[in-house]
Amino acid sequence: MRRRRTDPVTRLLAWMAITVIALPIIAIFVKVPWSTFFTSLRGDGSFTAVKLSIWTSLLAGFICLLLGVPLAWWLAKSGDRVTTILRPIVLAPIALPPTVAGLAMLGLLSRTGLLGRPIFKIFNWQMPFTTSAVIFAGIFVGLPFLVLVSESTFRQLPRDVQDAAEIDRATPAQIFRQIAIPQSKSGIVTGLVLAWARILGEFGATMMFAGSLPGTTQTWTMQIYQELNISQDTAYALSLLMVLISVSLIFFLRKPITQAFAS
Amino acid sequence: MKFTHSITSLVVASALLSPTSPSFAQNDSHTVTVFAASSLTRVFTTLGSNFQAAHPGVTVRFSFASSTTLATQIKAGAPADIFASADATSMSSVSAQVPHPVDYLVNQVVVAVPKGSRIKKISDLNGGATWLQCAHSVPCGIAADSALKSEGSVTSSPVSLEGSDASAAAKLLSGSVDAAIVYKTDVIANLGKLTAIPFASAVAASTQYQLGISGQSVKSKSHWAQTFFRYLKGHDAEKLLVASGFTLSQ
Repeated sequence: MRRRRTDPVTRLLAWMAITVIALPIIAIFVKVPWSTFFTSLRGDGSFTAVKLSIWTSLLAGFICLLLGVPLAWWLAKSGDRVTTILRPIVLAPIALPPTVAGLAMLGLLSRTGLLGRPIFKIFNWQMPFTTSAVIFAGIFVGLPFLVLVSESTFRQLPRDVQDAAEIDRATPAQIFRQIAIPQSKSGIVTGLVLAWARILGEFGATMMFAGSLPGTTQTWTMQIYQELNISQDTAYALSLLMVLISVSLIFFLRKPITQAFAS
Repeated sequence: MKFTHSITSLVVASALLSPTSPSFAQNDSHTVTVFAASSLTRVFTTLGSNFQAAHPGVTVRFSFASSTTLATQIKAGAPADIFASADATSMSSVSAQVPHPVDYLVNQVVVAVPKGSRIKKISDLNGGATWLQCAHSVPCGIAADSALKSEGSVTSSPVSLEGSDASAAAKLLSGSVDAAIVYKTDVIANLGKLTAIPFASAVAASTQYQLGISGQSVKSKSHWAQTFFRYLKGHDAEKLLVASGFTLSQ
């Protein structure tokens, strides 16, 4: 099939869009102190924060996968009455400003919070200021992305395959595990990547809810923010590392991502 | 695909809702832009509204954050007419933009605890208490480090290093921690709820605030920026600053 050419106005606008996105990223490459790149990264606790961010975001992403895929399937199978009420609640964190999300989690889990108070009474422990708060905040902000994309993919599954499986007396659990999940792999992976990227980039809500302590709660993004006050070189070096990770991740997963959105 | 469109709009909406750092349009002569340490939020906001009430048509706008962050923004070209820094270090880092600052106020960090707390003296921070302080790079954290060092009795560690005294005080007021090393003025602003335990060495716990007007505002003879700058050092301001717990620099 021959591709149709686009009109000049569309192309102009498209190029403007590309410029808006690409130039700031290019600026990071230009501003990074290449000659001292590695020494500036080796500075105080940079890698501690990077390590903390990576393992907590991976764990939070895995929990999102574990809980989010069943929820997405349930939403995809439910009637309008359930989804009209549930979907806005589940997707709310996408639209919530980080400070509101942080306050919400404090309201629930700090030792004066709704659940936090009884937990503190019984266990003499509260979630804020611990690494588990970083993970919880990650799940809170990441889960909606995974559910959103997975549900959309589940809804596109051809009805007749499921019907055929039902005629062959497949149980609902079998249909979910052996048909729905394998058929929707690209959507689930895309959702997971979006969720993980959101978790890795999380800043405001975590700062409010988990605090900022090197090695325990100070994540990569918080380290960048703090370095801005100390050494801009290190801040740029840490930022570049993050750009490289995000861009290469999207590059390697370009196939499933295109599939999930194009079908 | 309809659903993808709603995803797109949601993502766009979330991007629009995320907070952005203050970005100010080009200065006009009736607008004064003040960058001030977050510990000055209450007093300066009041002073700003008093000034605006006395001078209709003039707008005073504030950007409150840690002095270190504000200094970074000023160095990057943020258009501040006036900078009130909570220590001399942040102020001297912007000497190109704010060339002739003056000593303005003195504030001290204290150990702030809720009324009726079982923490009565500074060494009580050791007994399994959860407490926090400001980050080592911002003035209230630098003062806290120096005060703790001179005290020498605290062996426990903070659970968080906050970006400013305001966020440290907010976490204490929310009940998430037993104590916070914040400014005396933070306690006075919340007298009904908080009590201060002072450090033995007031000098080690002190920080010197400085006030400066930008070289640009002086050069362009910005009338209202200079008027507000004088107002901040005048009698009305002094009264309110002293009532809030600051000590005036002579």
